[in-house]
Amino acid sequence: MTRLGSLAPSPPSSAVETAGLGKRFGKLWALQDCSVRVPRGRVVALVGPNGAGKTTLLRMLAGLSRPTTGEARILGRRPEQSEEFLSTIGYLAQDVPLYRRMTARQHVEVGAGLNRRWEGEAAIARLEALRVPTDRPVSTLSGGQRAQVALGLALAKRPAVLLLDEPVAALDPLARREFLAALAGAVAEDEVSVVLSSHLVHDLERVCDFVILLSASRVQLCADIEEILDTHRFLVGPRRPAAEIERAMDAVSVTQTARQSRVLVRTDGPIADPSWQVSEVGLEDVILAYMGRDADGVEQQTVGLGATA
Amino acid sequence: MNLLVWRLHRNQVRFAALALAVLAVILLVTGSVMAHDYDRALADCRASQSCADLGSQLFRGDGMIIDLVNLTVVVPLLFGLFWGAPLLAKELEDGTHNLVWTQSVPRRRWFTSTVGWALAAAALWGGAMAALVSWWRYPENALDSRFAAFDIQGIVPVAYALFAVALGIAIGSVARRVLPALAVTIATFLAVRVPIAVYLRPHFLTPVRATTSLASSGLGPPGSWLLSQSLVGPGGATTGNLFSVTPVCTTTGFASKGLIGSCLAHHGYRMTVTYQPAVRFWAFQGIEAGIFVILAALLVVFAFRWTLHRDA
Repeated sequence: MTRLGSLAPSPPSSAVETAGLGKRFGKLWALQDCSVRVPRGRVVALVGPNGAGKTTLLRMLAGLSRPTTGEARILGRRPEQSEEFLSTIGYLAQDVPLYRRMTARQHVEVGAGLNRRWEGEAAIARLEALRVPTDRPVSTLSGGQRAQVALGLALAKRPAVLLLDEPVAALDPLARREFLAALAGAVAEDEVSVVLSSHLVHDLERVCDFVILLSASRVQLCADIEEILDTHRFLVGPRRPAAEIERAMDAVSVTQTARQSRVLVRTDGPIADPSWQVSEVGLEDVILAYMGRDADGVEQQTVGLGATA
Repeated sequence: MNLLVWRLHRNQVRFAALALAVLAVILLVTGSVMAHDYDRALADCRASQSCADLGSQLFRGDGMIIDLVNLTVVVPLLFGLFWGAPLLAKELEDGTHNLVWTQSVPRRRWFTSTVGWALAAAALWGGAMAALVSWWRYPENALDSRFAAFDIQGIVPVAYALFAVALGIAIGSVARRVLPALAVTIATFLAVRVPIAVYLRPHFLTPVRATTSLASSGLGPPGSWLLSQSLVGPGGATTGNLFSVTPVCTTTGFASKGLIGSCLAHHGYRMTVTYQPAVRFWAFQGIEAGIFVILAALLVVFAFRWTLHRDA
């Protein structure tokens, strides 16, 4: 990842592009040196442990927060307080904010006055299809229903890029599935690009095709999911020193047991050394391996006899 | 945008309209009775040339109504607490600013609209209230100094209301929570309003100094705002208060105040007074209103810059 102060005018082929983006609160960096590029039409899973900088990144993309360093572009446009920019994005904040005493229908009516492009009737129809009450104050709705209302409002703008900050984190599994299904439906209809943050990797695998992994306020991984699965392998073989493993290959994580070394490795071709037993990886394995890494190093873990990894 | 403002604040507007309507009914009814009585008494006393005593002969309002009228002095602060402080603080506290600031309306326009309506409402309600009170006090203003009820009539209530709302908005934008914003708004409002009324207002214009005879009744011209008085002895030196010199005249038990006055005047005592003449009422209203309108404007500009330039 290169550290860039600014971006050349980017072709509108990328939905989201950042260069050297950083945000500091007081002395703490919430996000550092974040340079990512996401093509249009992708559904991006923005993953990472709590406090990794996911919300900070999304807020800067939505124009709610100003970068300390670097810059961001959404469809080639810098996040700013202009109607042109604001009408290209849909944003759903972490705690799904809505006006408590207003009904879903009133939210939709009000939204018509706040947006030049507004598909209010379609939003109401979609909510009614999901059996979300549209004539009751949203404070009386369940968390899942509120999330559906908020998603409906974000989609009614017909945004080109939808930014969703942990929309499913507080939902029960059923509501979570319904929310993601509604999202997937909307994406299929509209060809909208989506960045969806979550710490629940498992849920995202179904709807997302791209991953940005943040950990310790830095980007650890930014790639197409298929590509990630193609270029990572799990190796199990007789135990050997970690240093030797790292010299020989691009190891993401090394787990040592008494007799074995288990390695998650990034590789382009087949593994030549026949002493390794090679297996395919799941997205969650890769993400957890990268999450566990400290800033630039390899995750190393030594597991004692009898203990489980 | 305007629909959003109305949806969010319509209950407050309805409540304020109701309160104003109740006040209007009470003041219009009692005020027209009092005005009628006063006009008739004035006509009567002019006929018999006994108007000097008019004030003491008239019914000048029910105590509770007078209290109610005097209580309107706190209404601008209530605007600041109910309309001003929560305006931005509630959005920031509930997180709904994240919703509204990512619609297509830029924050700048959202602010102008929201704050503009709040200020307009404050000016409208403050103005209506001040007009009602000014009208209601017509007999009282004629009999007594208008300076006695300076804070609740004329144009200053409008300026106080604008200031209170702007103050609440500015504090709310920084505090980002409703409750602390309320507390700080009360404290700051009083900390600005009281010292200006008590220490600054008497000196808006240089007071008039005059020497009056103790034999005449009343200190200073009618309707003026008396700021200070001091007793001057025969030698021309200030000699403390009236009671310290009364022994000069009270050789034979109790004497009424008027008689003491004549007696002291006879002995060469005079009274020096400083006051603001009645004709300066509107000049003072203009100066005080100007101060609070300028403060309100500065606060709005501050809140605007803070809201736009600070991270949401």
